[in-house]
Amino acid sequence: MEYYNILSGDILSKRAVDMVFQATYTLTDIRMILRETAPLHKLDEKQKAEAVRLLENLERQVGSLKQEILK
Amino acid sequence: MKCANGIDARQVNELFINVDPIQAGGRLTADAIKAIIAYGDGYSVCDNCRKPNRLDCITKPPIAEFHKEVAAWLGMDDARMMPGARRAFQAVAHTYVNKGDPVLLTSLSHYTEFLAVEEAGGVACEIPADANHIVTPEATAAKIDEVKKKYGKAPVLAFIDHVDYQYGNLHDVKAIAKVAHEHDIPVLYNGAYTVGIMPVDGKSSAVDFVVGSGHKSMASPAPSGVLAVTAERAKEVFRTTQIEGDVTKRRFGVKEPEMMGCTLMGATIVGMMASFPHVKERVKHFDRELENNKIVLEALLSIDGTKILSEYPRKHTLTRVDTTASFDTVAESHKKKGFYFASALNDKGIFGIIPGATRVWKFNTYGATQAQARYLAEAFVAVAQENGLRVKS
Repeated sequence: MEYYNILSGDILSKRAVDMVFQATYTLTDIRMILRETAPLHKLDEKQKAEAVRLLENLERQVGSLKQEILK
Repeated sequence: MKCANGIDARQVNELFINVDPIQAGGRLTADAIKAIIAYGDGYSVCDNCRKPNRLDCITKPPIAEFHKEVAAWLGMDDARMMPGARRAFQAVAHTYVNKGDPVLLTSLSHYTEFLAVEEAGGVACEIPADANHIVTPEATAAKIDEVKKKYGKAPVLAFIDHVDYQYGNLHDVKAIAKVAHEHDIPVLYNGAYTVGIMPVDGKSSAVDFVVGSGHKSMASPAPSGVLAVTAERAKEVFRTTQIEGDVTKRRFGVKEPEMMGCTLMGATIVGMMASFPHVKERVKHFDRELENNKIVLEALLSIDGTKILSEYPRKHTLTRVDTTASFDTVAESHKKKGFYFASALNDKGIFGIIPGATRVWKFNTYGATQAQARYLAEAFVAVAQENGLRVKS
């Protein structure tokens, strides 16, 4: 029987797991913007810039996850 | 939208400005939500529990360090995280109160303080608040004298709320504690509405115990809270188990009976830990919270007939108002009766006023941004105007 170092990613993707958490955390940061701007959710320029940054990160994280989990 | 079978996904804080008096200070920080996502599984913080096998001794995640930091932050010597302030009341009452012992509470004390005394077999002796709903050191001295005459001994413990849940008024705990200590009565500072909201220093208040509520005021999940104590009291409340099984001769090391061994496991403790840096910072800016509260109160006072029942100007954001002569006058003829008020606010994206309440009600602006406070102020005025109430310009 072969043995693997799980955390190095030999038999599963540690990166995929990290991406699941990171994407969830990014969504949490977006959730906080919704809380801060309730009930109208009219974002000011600073909040819009932050939302754009978070959404771009989220797209990257989901892309990496897709790559890892389907390889 | 459901988050699980039969359970709605709660979106109150995303869709509304939430002014529920007991919910405002317990809304989670982003870091707390993230920590809970990672540590939601049952015994998740116990992965690295090593001897002496007690929650407050775990170093990874740094729970032991967190306990020390919280105690120091509150100006006390030792602390344990608790499943709510009420369990802290219970632990202290169980340690000091015996059957028939008189215990000092106040006419504004929370019911869980009464239950803690009841469970220990004590007798509730309330210090009456004055006409302004303030508990004073003078009234405390008078009540102690009364208790001594009636029971032939001084109260064995005093529960004093720094800010009460009924009016959100600030009471002079330091002066009250001084009076109690003159009679050797240990004092429990109930900071359910202050610890995590405004600066609290148990040492300068010269109290024996500081109790806080995680889910009420420390941006933490329920049930969570803290019991911080002086070194002298730690030996008593945090005493370790002495019991031994008669067959197995088993003993249980450093487990603490009043804590029932370990207290907060998993999501609750990491939620508290993750919010703690933010909580430490936010208490330094309580003045901003009062400014936002003032924006809303001025709008309410502009509506003819509205009264503020809490002390004014406000020293806390939890506020009790009387709208018997304003919003309640609409209720009788409105097709929704008294429910029109909360319903109209709900339609404007405001949550937390008890449905049906139009006479005396409470709200808490804690945590609202300035923009949200302005919106809230405008919404109250708009509901008044839409229902024909007079508003001062």
